[in-house]
Amino acid sequence: MPQSRARAGIPFRYRIALVWAAIFACIIAFLSLIRLDLGFIGEWWAFIVYGAGNPDAWTVGIVATLYISLASILLAILLAFLGALGRLSKNPLAYGLATFYVSLVRGTPLLIQIFILFFGLPQINQQLNRLFPGFEQQFPFISSLLVLPALPTGILALGINYGAYMTEVFRAGIQSVGRGQVEAATALGMTPGQTMWRIVLPQAVRVVIPPIGNDFIAMTKDSALVSVIGVQELLWRSQKVGVQNFRSMETLLIAAAFYWIMTIVLQTVQSQIEKRLARSDR
Amino acid sequence: MDPIVRLTDLHKRFDALHVLKGVSLAVQPREVICLIGRSGSGKSTLLRSINFLEEPDAGAVEVDGIVVTPELDARVRRQRIRDIRLRTGMVFQDFNLFPHKSAIDNVIEGLLVVRRIPRPRAVQIGESFLRKVGLIDKRDEYPSRLSGGQKQRVAIARALAMEPKVMLFDEPTSALDPELIGEVVRVMEDLANDGMTMLVVTHEMSFARDAADRVIFMEDGVFVEEGPPEEIFTTPRDPRTQQFLQRYIRG
Repeated sequence: MPQSRARAGIPFRYRIALVWAAIFACIIAFLSLIRLDLGFIGEWWAFIVYGAGNPDAWTVGIVATLYISLASILLAILLAFLGALGRLSKNPLAYGLATFYVSLVRGTPLLIQIFILFFGLPQINQQLNRLFPGFEQQFPFISSLLVLPALPTGILALGINYGAYMTEVFRAGIQSVGRGQVEAATALGMTPGQTMWRIVLPQAVRVVIPPIGNDFIAMTKDSALVSVIGVQELLWRSQKVGVQNFRSMETLLIAAAFYWIMTIVLQTVQSQIEKRLARSDR
Repeated sequence: MDPIVRLTDLHKRFDALHVLKGVSLAVQPREVICLIGRSGSGKSTLLRSINFLEEPDAGAVEVDGIVVTPELDARVRRQRIRDIRLRTGMVFQDFNLFPHKSAIDNVIEGLLVVRRIPRPRAVQIGESFLRKVGLIDKRDEYPSRLSGGQKQRVAIARALAMEPKVMLFDEPTSALDPELIGEVVRVMEDLANDGMTMLVVTHEMSFARDAADRVIFMEDGVFVEEGPPEEIFTTPRDPRTQQFLQRYIRG
């Protein structure tokens, strides 16, 4: 009797820790059964994750992953803001553009969008050159925008994709600010633009920061997709090293582990931010 | 003296609902007018038409010599509406303070953004108006930390800071707990004594009786009866006015 009471007394969190430990033990058993080469992992993980030993390659691996995610989320925020303004607009052109953007982008796979941007844009450049001979020489800037390297193409694709999803979040955030706020600002003589910037957006931001954080975390994982066009981020490097050495399982596990660590760290940061927002909530 | 506000044959429809059915009104400078009537009688819509929070479908609004009609060219009209808004201050039933700004920042927002007054000067002006409504000690509090009565007094200070020619009050005490109504009414009475031109939509009959120069009873989008408060509250002529006021006179 006292024994079972003692067992009932084990706090819930310790029981959870036990379950996790058991799962890890199973995984280790599985990995030793498939004869995972730990020596190989120890030798290569630093090279895969941050290009250790290659002084020219500091923007690869996990740095590239974070860099792509950050640049993409900034682009997505900009597009989502414009999209939300369009969704809330009474102008048929703005409303139509915004709804078309959201519908098309949310209705097609991200992977196809990445491919279309990567292979489609250079084709436009080709045709412009055919139609207007000397186009490339006359407008080198526009031409270079159409033949983007893999990294900016990946950022563009991820930003456009997430911007469409975040448009609805921004729209809801803006709409969560009451009509009375707009009326008060209007009665003071503020223009619609001033009302948006000074009164509506600062209040909407509080509503949209938590979902933006979630999207950023999801973005760090979806950024793995741009490996298909040859961006040297975490997954691409792990694949390259793995295939060359017939050790794909080892390198994929390295990549997976680091994605996991990244999301755990980002989730911690996210919950800290949310706590602070909640504290200053008025 | 020329009226400071003149409304001529205002009409407003919300789809099938005819809310204002040709209302005309001239308000003299320093005059305090109370609009009373049942909810849905059109009194709030009338008030909100003066600063174009509602756009009248027909009729003219004139404030301080600026005339706006629906027929005006869109650009001219927008400019004139803005000019009218700069000459009117509005106080809402639900206060509508900016929750992300402190009391002083609420009061000076219009000075900074609309009047483009430099911040140090704006803060001076803002503080003087917070003092006027008796809330200088709440200068840095956020709205969530203020009582309803305090919020409404900050909202009044915010409107006054823009130095409007006319103050519009849309049921300023209706959202308040009974024990908080007094402090807001006192601020409004002070304002009336200072000679501010005021249009007040209210259910607060004691304020109407004590502070108004003229009381207007509205029903179904028209003025049923208007006159000095002593007349309206003691010897109302129209049976609808009598019926409406019964509760307040006997109650």
